[in-house]
Amino acid sequence: MGKSTIDPVTLEVLRAAIPAVCDEMAVVLRRAAHNMFIYEIQDFSVAIVDPEGNLIGQNRGAIPFFLADLGPPIQSGIAEIGKDNFFPGDVIIMNHPAVCGQHLNNVIIYQPVFFEGRLVSFTVARGHWMDIGGSKMGLGFSRTLDVYQEGLQFRNLKIYEAGKPNKTLFRMIEDNLRRPDLALGDLRAQIAACRLGERRFLAILEKYGLETVLQAVSLLADQAEERARKGVARIPDGVYEAESFLDSDGVDLDKTIPVKVRVIVEGTSMTIDFSEMGEQVKGPVNSGTGGLLTARSAFKILTSPNDFANEGHFRPLKMILPPGKFISAKPPAALGSWSSGLSTVLDTILKALAPALPHLIPAGHKADQGEFGFYGIDASTNKYWLCGNIRGGGHGGRPHEDGESASVNLLQGDITTAPVEAIEQKYPLFVENYSLIPDSGGPGKFRGGLGTEWLIRPFDVDHVFVNIGGERFGCPPWGLWGGKAGMPNHYLLDLGDGTKPEIVAKRPGQLVPKKGWVALRGGGGGGWGDPLERDIARVLTDVIRGYVSPEKARSEYGVVIDLSKKEVDEAATRALRESMRQACKKWD
Amino acid sequence: MRVGVDIGGTFTDFVAMGEDGRILHTKSSTTPKELTEGILQCFDKAGLHKLAQVKQLLHGSTVAINTIIQGVGAKTALITTKGMRDIYEIGRENRPDSWNLFFHRPRPLVTREWRLEVSERSTPKGDILVPLDESELEGIAGRLEKHGVEAVAVCFLHSYMNPAHERRAGEILHKELPDVFISLSNELVREMGEYERTSTTVLNAYVGPVVSSYLNHLVGHMQRLEFQGVLLIMQSNGGCMSVEVAKQQPIHTTESGPVSGMIGAAHLSQILDLPSAVAFDMGGTTAKTVFVQKGTVPLAPVCYIGGYETGQPMKVPVADIVEIGAGGGSIASVDDLGVLSVGPRSAGADPGPVCYGQGGTEPTVTDANLLLGRLNPQNFLGGEMPLAVEPARDALKRRVADPKGMDVYRAADAILQIVTNNMSLAVRRISVERGIDPRDCVIIAFGGAGPLHAVGVAKELLIPKVIVPPIPGHFSALGMLVADLRHDYVQTYLHELKSADRNAILSYFREFERQARATLVSEGASIDTISSSLRLDLRYQGQDHVLSVPVTFSELENGEYQVFIERYDRTHLDYYGHAASGEIVEVVNLRLVASGRANKERVEVFRPITEQKGRPEVGGRRTYWGPKWGWLDTAIYQRGQLGSGFRCEGPAIVEEWASTTLIFPGDKLMVDPLGNLVVEVG
Repeated sequence: MGKSTIDPVTLEVLRAAIPAVCDEMAVVLRRAAHNMFIYEIQDFSVAIVDPEGNLIGQNRGAIPFFLADLGPPIQSGIAEIGKDNFFPGDVIIMNHPAVCGQHLNNVIIYQPVFFEGRLVSFTVARGHWMDIGGSKMGLGFSRTLDVYQEGLQFRNLKIYEAGKPNKTLFRMIEDNLRRPDLALGDLRAQIAACRLGERRFLAILEKYGLETVLQAVSLLADQAEERARKGVARIPDGVYEAESFLDSDGVDLDKTIPVKVRVIVEGTSMTIDFSEMGEQVKGPVNSGTGGLLTARSAFKILTSPNDFANEGHFRPLKMILPPGKFISAKPPAALGSWSSGLSTVLDTILKALAPALPHLIPAGHKADQGEFGFYGIDASTNKYWLCGNIRGGGHGGRPHEDGESASVNLLQGDITTAPVEAIEQKYPLFVENYSLIPDSGGPGKFRGGLGTEWLIRPFDVDHVFVNIGGERFGCPPWGLWGGKAGMPNHYLLDLGDGTKPEIVAKRPGQLVPKKGWVALRGGGGGGWGDPLERDIARVLTDVIRGYVSPEKARSEYGVVIDLSKKEVDEAATRALRESMRQACKKWD
Repeated sequence: MRVGVDIGGTFTDFVAMGEDGRILHTKSSTTPKELTEGILQCFDKAGLHKLAQVKQLLHGSTVAINTIIQGVGAKTALITTKGMRDIYEIGRENRPDSWNLFFHRPRPLVTREWRLEVSERSTPKGDILVPLDESELEGIAGRLEKHGVEAVAVCFLHSYMNPAHERRAGEILHKELPDVFISLSNELVREMGEYERTSTTVLNAYVGPVVSSYLNHLVGHMQRLEFQGVLLIMQSNGGCMSVEVAKQQPIHTTESGPVSGMIGAAHLSQILDLPSAVAFDMGGTTAKTVFVQKGTVPLAPVCYIGGYETGQPMKVPVADIVEIGAGGGSIASVDDLGVLSVGPRSAGADPGPVCYGQGGTEPTVTDANLLLGRLNPQNFLGGEMPLAVEPARDALKRRVADPKGMDVYRAADAILQIVTNNMSLAVRRISVERGIDPRDCVIIAFGGAGPLHAVGVAKELLIPKVIVPPIPGHFSALGMLVADLRHDYVQTYLHELKSADRNAILSYFREFERQARATLVSEGASIDTISSSLRLDLRYQGQDHVLSVPVTFSELENGEYQVFIERYDRTHLDYYGHAASGEIVEVVNLRLVASGRANKERVEVFRPITEQKGRPEVGGRRTYWGPKWGWLDTAIYQRGQLGSGFRCEGPAIVEEWASTTLIFPGDKLMVDPLGNLVVEVG
């Protein structure tokens, strides 16, 4: 680390000012965007990147797990277009899967920034477009077999050349997307964000000069590295392993996908080894960059949860990830549901570290994406409508308290679910029930959080379609240290024809008739510690509140409750817990 | 005489204005156990032993917000539509503090066993799908009575479109539970979004009994002191309301503390005819700022009590104040990597900065100001609290200068630069980031520390002028004296604008206006002071976020939708730098604000002061003015001696009882006819 000459006050000012520019870009993008993936789910990220493709700054908040990953697409643009061929007024569009490694909906828009006649940076805004063409409509699971079925690919194309729109490209977008109006609205919002970033970044350069700013960026990266190393040093050295699995790739429904991780902690560096991860699959749960982003997310949680991410942050992290795994897939792998297994990968890394960090690591959480998409064609306008939403679930019990109920997964951050009233206002849907699911939290000394249920019917139309996702039905959120698993995520489909509702998963384009319904049920978190050690008063409270039924209080926690009096029968409880402990010993 | 009393966390502030326009002000320590105690002390200090001459008393307090934050509200139940009782606990399922494995979502104030469901259902259009099961509700009421529930919140799905079921439920509950506080969601919020509406209704019910009993208590005290005037309660929207309305809708008082100074600043900006101004209030713990355009304080549609990450959402109009953890008491520290940061941790009032000599050991912004000669150790709070320089220097040296390998004065200056930068980013967020050209702006600075830092912020953002109004240290209480009676109404009305039924829209607005007039008149407003303004929340079809544009009754009657669309395009362009002219525009909400006041003529609090005659006394001390100028001999003025028309050039400092204003080298000071200090930033 070279000795810097930058004045400490300037450094502190820039530490705050650069991310503030990116945050402001994010506000503009979110407010002006046209589809709910950007404004509601906040599936976007914005950044300023230098001419070599290194990150200068990135927004905070929103979906947190896009950690310092906007550099490589810009690097590819520089390589393909050539540094000397960028001009003021250029706007470039990019989603090429071989580099971006995410589903094609994640469209990157970027523009060059010139200062004193010199190319000094790029401002970048990536946002999830509602539709990108291809065989799949909107959110939720598809059954595509390669990326060509999934929509349009843009490989660093200038959609504006020196300020002039590329009409051919616009026409391509208009004619190949199901909702070009929304896509072009989002495109405008992304350009507005990039332009704003340009203006603000130039103001900073005018005030402090390019050299000072770049020096500050490099110093801030060094500081982030040092802080992350201190975080790693707090984890005992060792080799930690864990495994789990995903239900299927959605095509070969009876074939599970192994998730195996190994974490090596040595002094101030950490290696996450994915060599034994499942191979690339036929169905769309592959990703090119999923392994990288998940490893970075885990590293951040474990070492430095409160710092802003930059290039330096991840220097102490090494990753072993051979190409061709489902999280390092090669073209033309299908990527439509690229993120659906990633929070399970993260959860498994955390599980591996439970023995090293017993005071920190919770039991498993519901860990699916929980996304669902209802759609149909509006008879009055002949346009597609799409209601995409997210459903949360329970998180695992913690070393000192119960897990949270009804939360999005660990990688989803500030995603919010849409209100029932907003859904019913906009779409021909009727929400009959949106509630916590009693007994879904895994039993433990500290109970897992409860899952949630949405029960949705068509309203005033003959039928609607739904993309049903689903993951972790076969591998429910695990318990830790004697705690038990939570209820797995699952979906119930009732066709309204008098037959029993069936459990379904990974079924795109399912028709739901007028009298039918779908229940989307998010699992509960796993329990932490032996349920027989749970404080009796807590069990009673859980029963009074209806989080746990009296039957489960007895069978899982060994607590006998007199419901009419809302009291614990202490003698009966002591005896029951004793006999359950004996039974456990015998079993052992 | 009119009196404003603002109970803050540390001080209870008092400002009175006599018929002759003379202003009295004083402070006493807030008495948390018995809040009226602090008010009575203020009366005593001001020499008001009887209140017969007080015509109007305006009052803001922290009762509601403290009840929520401390979790000491009423035993509350919630009644919802069948299938929906858990939404209040589920919330929006988000985890804003993403990487924290121990993240908590907001804790419900009503636990699940007290959240009860009743059969009833409306469609999004407001049609009844399932009738209200009244006998089921009566059964619920019986259970609640048996268990001693003190407050009930009712929130049904789509009640913003058709409140009939909630109203009927309210009648039944009032009849069955005559002593219980009942709160219906449609009376507070007529907007879509069931979680935020439920939370708001629960908050109102939760604080209702506490606020009612506080207000009854206060009224009792006032009456014993022969008060015969009108008592008005400050609201978070910057207006005030009668005690009777406050008892029913106490939720509107929650954020009234910070707003009073802001409306004082807004009023001043009207008098001075400033098209846009930044109101900047800096105290001991935080700095707050609002962008005032054409004399109005903007409102935020929702606020989170306790912060966005884990706070309780409250969806009533609240002044859109940006608050950051930067105040006189903000602590400076250097971490193990050598990173120097200031705040958000604060030494607060207790122990306070090191220089207060009350046991503080960590250096603060105030200590840095003192060390650089910007504060007068002998003249703080008019000399009531002498400041100790040496302990402040020691603390700065030990905790900041030594670890950074810096000279202690440079360290003090670094602290001030960092805190100024943090505040500048906050001011920038509400101004420059919304497309405002800073050169068209003015900062109005108040609060104990505002005048000390505002010029630094102005320099950072290229804002050319800073105005420090009279008694900046009591500005919140002063601001109350200009508050009008005010009520805000909103109704969700989701429709493509061009094909919207203008009669339907007009009938909502007319109904609001009727209600507003009735309420304002009942509160004592004189009929010819009542006015209302209308706005539509619009968006391009497909967008989620709305922007609000002003409209009028006559425009609506004429169906001038194209004008509204153009207005929206322009607003969008101003805010986001682009507009999508030609796209379909949707209306989302209808908003009406109605205000009025008792007196036909507004009683002006900002009045001309006498002209400067002769030269005021000038003191002097060495003061550090940043690396560019270093230490300079600096003229020190006492504000009380400055008359209108007084001018001087920096470096200079103006001291007064609870505040200090800096005039940097190259800047110019002028005292305007109303006694405002006007600093032209060089």
